Amino acid sequence: MSALRADASAALAIARKDAIAELRGRQIAGSTLFFATLVLLLFGFALGPDSRRLAEAAPGLLWLAIVFGSLLIVARLHQLEAEDGALEELARYPIERHAIYLGKLLAGLAAVLVLGGVLLPVVAILYGIDLAAAWPALLATLVLGAIGLAAVGTFYAGVTVRMQAREVMLPLLMLPVVAPLLLATVKATSAALTANALGDLGAWLQLLIVFDVVMAVAGAATYGHLLEE
Amino acid sequence: MPQTTIYVAPRTHERTPRPAVATQELARLFGRSAALAGISLRIGRGATIALLGPNGAGKTTLLRILATALRPSFGTAAVDGFDVTRDAGDVRRRIAFLSHDSGLYDDLTAAENLRFAATLRGLAEAEAAVATALATVGLTADAPRRVRGFSAGMRHRLALGRMLLGTPSLVLLDEPHATLDADGMALVDGLIEAWKAAGVTVLVASHQADRVIRLADGWARLDGGLLLEVGGTGISVGTPVVVGVAAPVAEA
Repeated sequence: MSALRADASAALAIARKDAIAELRGRQIAGSTLFFATLVLLLFGFALGPDSRRLAEAAPGLLWLAIVFGSLLIVARLHQLEAEDGALEELARYPIERHAIYLGKLLAGLAAVLVLGGVLLPVVAILYGIDLAAAWPALLATLVLGAIGLAAVGTFYAGVTVRMQAREVMLPLLMLPVVAPLLLATVKATSAALTANALGDLGAWLQLLIVFDVVMAVAGAATYGHLLEE
Repeated sequence: MPQTTIYVAPRTHERTPRPAVATQELARLFGRSAALAGISLRIGRGATIALLGPNGAGKTTLLRILATALRPSFGTAAVDGFDVTRDAGDVRRRIAFLSHDSGLYDDLTAAENLRFAATLRGLAEAEAAVATALATVGLTADAPRRVRGFSAGMRHRLALGRMLLGTPSLVLLDEPHATLDADGMALVDGLIEAWKAAGVTVLVASHQADRVIRLADGWARLDGGLLLEVGGTGISVGTPVVVGVAAPVAEA
């Protein structure tokens, strides 16, 4: 088996294991979806009943909810590994460290995509937005945004998983790093919802691609050090 | 518990004159306290060695360093000639480690936990290996059950079963008899005998000195992070590194 195939096989096995555990345990889906929907509802109450104001704020509120939800997702995915020494056991398998990172990233990506897929129609209903015409651009933004969040989140969840105050440290470390992603996804979503802003959309999507590649490569290169004591 | 046939794959790694384990002035600090304070020893290939000593002696720390789970603070440790820090990937391919924690996933079944381990170990005949491992540790009937409902003893048995996937040349056992009933303890003894017969090197840390010394070729006693004494065959104290010797000062 070539090294690349071995890495891919290990990464898929890790992601599949996380998916099975989540489908059975429902440790992430319930809390994250409820929390993110609640964030959207509370922002809606805070902004008041002005439908134009709500529609303008919708891209920002959507992505804030996805970012907050992704914090819970990556933290929980790593907490599963920390229970009963599973992370140490995982680190002892004869596989490349970047394969472990990629496996956790894939699991996080799937969960963030599900979160985004649920929140998009929720935003459309709550804030009165028509998504029908913009869905290809919104889908591209969601996928690129989710990759970036999973890449950064997986790394910082690995940094904080052994810390006592990990619930506090994870947002403190992760949120400043995802600020450019938040800006790009909000602008891209706004551009997608505005029919005459296709030029802007392309630029923001390019920025997201660069962000995703840089973060994923940096995470894969350094994640192995986090697994050693 | 029905009697099961214990099958352990024979050692397949190359036979070289290098010792199975060699440490030189190996030390590990946690903050300001030294869990290991400079241990030098050599363990021959195929030897079964008992690590003895009270709580806090450094047995677990030594095993975790050899398993690449902990980095040494000072000194070196090698498995089959491969340095645990520099050649960690080569070391991981050669070891099987039973630690205090089971490292199992509660929401996966017993069979799924072992299948996951078999995949990450790159086993070709994973299903057959998983079935054999489950049968060996007496958990065939519990294969489709989620681990969340397992007792501590069953988790321990499943962790033992996971060690049977692959062909290690060095087996590291940290308190393998803990949480097990009489049948389970006999199973552990049988596994150690089987590894021994297959030419696999075994290091077993245990508070049950009488039990493990009966199975072992040699033993090492640790206390306070220091290697106090070794005995039997297959183990010797390595040469300590002498940094300097102070000459006695004659009185005028």
